[in-house]
Amino acid sequence: MRARNRELVGLIPASLLLTAGFAAVFIQRSNHLSGLSLTYGAVFLGLCLAGHVFIRIALPYADPYIFPVVAVIACFGLVMVYRIDGATLARQQAQWFVLGLVLFIGTVIFFRDYRKLERYRYVIVTLSLALLVVPRLPVIGESVNGAYLEAHIPGVITFQPVEISKVGLIVFMASYLRDTRLVLAGGRRVLGVTLPPLKHLGPLLLLWGVAMGILILLHEVGSSLMFYGGLLAVLYVATGRLSFVVIGLLAFAGGAWYLATHIPHIDARVVAWLHPFRLSEYKALGGSYQIANAQFIQAAGGLFGQGLGGSIIDVPGSNPVVHWLPAADTDMIYAVIVGELGLFGASALLMCYLVLVQRGMKAAILAGDSFSKLLASGLSTIVALQVFVIVGGVTRVLPLTGVTLPFVSYGGSSILANFVLVALLLLVSDRARRPGVR
Amino acid sequence: MQPVSVGLKFGFLIVLYLFLFWVATSSLFDLRRGSGPPARGGRGEGRGDGAGHPAGQPPARNYSDATGMYIAADSLLELEDYEPRLVVERAAGHEPGVAYDLLGGATLGRGDVEIHLDDQFASSRHARISRRGRTLVIEDLGSTNGTYLNGEPLTGPQPLHDGDQIRIGGSEFTYLE
Repeated sequence: MRARNRELVGLIPASLLLTAGFAAVFIQRSNHLSGLSLTYGAVFLGLCLAGHVFIRIALPYADPYIFPVVAVIACFGLVMVYRIDGATLARQQAQWFVLGLVLFIGTVIFFRDYRKLERYRYVIVTLSLALLVVPRLPVIGESVNGAYLEAHIPGVITFQPVEISKVGLIVFMASYLRDTRLVLAGGRRVLGVTLPPLKHLGPLLLLWGVAMGILILLHEVGSSLMFYGGLLAVLYVATGRLSFVVIGLLAFAGGAWYLATHIPHIDARVVAWLHPFRLSEYKALGGSYQIANAQFIQAAGGLFGQGLGGSIIDVPGSNPVVHWLPAADTDMIYAVIVGELGLFGASALLMCYLVLVQRGMKAAILAGDSFSKLLASGLSTIVALQVFVIVGGVTRVLPLTGVTLPFVSYGGSSILANFVLVALLLLVSDRARRPGVR
Repeated sequence: MQPVSVGLKFGFLIVLYLFLFWVATSSLFDLRRGSGPPARGGRGEGRGDGAGHPAGQPPARNYSDATGMYIAADSLLELEDYEPRLVVERAAGHEPGVAYDLLGGATLGRGDVEIHLDDQFASSRHARISRRGRTLVIEDLGSTNGTYLNGEPLTGPQPLHDGDQIRIGGSEFTYLE
C-alpha cells in the first residue's frame, strides 16, 4: 500500500496551498488575517481525504500522483476564482468540485470494468456529436463573442458541451481503433507515404469532417484543434504511422486557413492575435483589448508575481465596474495567475499539468491491452492539448479561443467532464498496475 | 500587512515547488517500469507478472517500443502471430495449462459442444466465443448460473482482451492472444 500512502502525503501540500492562497487574498481584500482561510483549507483537505479514502478502497493500485496533482491544480482554480469573482462564484465553483468528486466516484463504481464502454461506443459517439451541435440550436444555443460554445437552458444551467464530448470522442476512437488499427496501418505505399486502404479511410475522413464541422458550425478553432489533435494522437499510437499525422495536420491546416479567411469572427481573432497593440484593433469592438491587456498583466507579473490579489483586472475607480481584463475568470485566468504568481508560479502550474499528462501516459505504457493504452494516451493528450490551446492563446502563441483551463477556469461542465476523465485515467492505471492481472 | 502578503506569496511558491520536487524524486524509480528489454516483452517488467498466465507461457511478444503498439502494427493482418486461445486454469476433465484454439470461435457448455465442461453449474450451451475480425467476443447463451469475465457477470456480448479471466461455475480459463 505504499502507493496510497504517497498519495496521502501529496494531498497535504494541496491543502496548504489553498490555505495560503485564501489567506493572501483575504489580506489583499480587507487587510486583516482571518481564520476563515484555515477553515477553507480544512474543508478542502477533508474533501481530498474523502476522495483519497475512496480511491484507497476502490482503486488500490491506481497511480498515486494523479489525484494529488489534480488537487493542487484545483486549488489554483478555487483561489483564483475567489480572488477574481468573490465569494459567491467561488462557492459555486467549490460546489462544482464537490459534484465533480461525486461524479468521479460514480464513474469509478459504474465503470469498474471500463472496457464495458466499448460496448456502447456507437451510442457514446452519437451522443457526443449530438451534444456538439446543441449550442447551434435555437433557444438553448448561445453565442459568446461569435463562437458557439455554450448551451443555455434558461434558469437551469449553462454548459459547454465540448467539454463532455471530448471524453466521449476519445473513448470512441480508442475502441474503434482497437479493432481496426492493424487494417489501417497496412496500406499501400505511394511515393514513400503509407496510405490507409480506401475502405478503412472512413474514420479518418470522419475525423476530419468532425473537426471541420466544429469549426464551421461553432466558429471555434480552439476546441476543434484540441479534438483533432487528440484523435490524431490516438490514431498515431494505434497505427504507428507518422504519415497519417502529417496528412491529417495538412488537411486540418487547409481547412482552418480557408475558414480563417472566410469567417469574419475567426479572421478578427487572427488579426487581434497578430497585431494586438495596433490602436485601431485595441479600440475596436471584439478587437484586441482583452488580449493586449492580458499581455500587460503578465508582463507586470515579473519573476515572482505581484502577490495574490495584486494584479489590476478592473479599471480602478470605475463604477459600475469596467473590466480591464474581460473574462478574467475563464479564458484569461492564466494571465491573472502569471500576473500574481509570476513566471515561477505559472510554470509550476504548467509543470503540474505536465505531471498529470505524464502519469496518464505512464498508465498507457503499463496497460496490458490495446483499448486501455489508446484510452489513456488519448485522454492525456487531450488534456495536454487543451492546456496548450488556452495557454497558447493567452500568451499569444496561438489566436485566442474559448476553451477552458482544465480544473482552473470557472465553469461547471469543464470540472465535471475533467473529473470523469481523471476517473477513467485512474481506472486504467489501477488495472495496469494490479499485480498478476494483465 | 505587506510583509505577511509577501511571505504568503513566497510561501505559496515554495510549497508548490516542494510538491513538484517531491513528485519528481518519488516517481523516479517508476520511470523505468514498463520499458524493459524487448526479450522480456517490455511490459512485464516489475509488475509482479506471472500469476495471470500459466507457467511456460512466455509473456507478451511483439512489444519492443515504449507504447507496446508500434511493432504490432507492422506485422499487420498476418494471422501467424495471432493465436487466440483459451488456456485451462482449472476445470474438471481438463488438464490445467491445455490451450484451445479459438480462431474459429467455440461454444462452452455441458452438452455436445467444442469445449465440453464437466461442471454441474454449467448449462448445456453455456457461453459462446465468436470471432469478428481480429476481435473475439464472448457472450452468455442464457445460462442458468452465468458467465464471469474478470470476476464480473456478463450481461451482453463483450470483447475479449489478452489476459482476460473467464469463469463458468467452478471452471476457470484465461484468454491469451
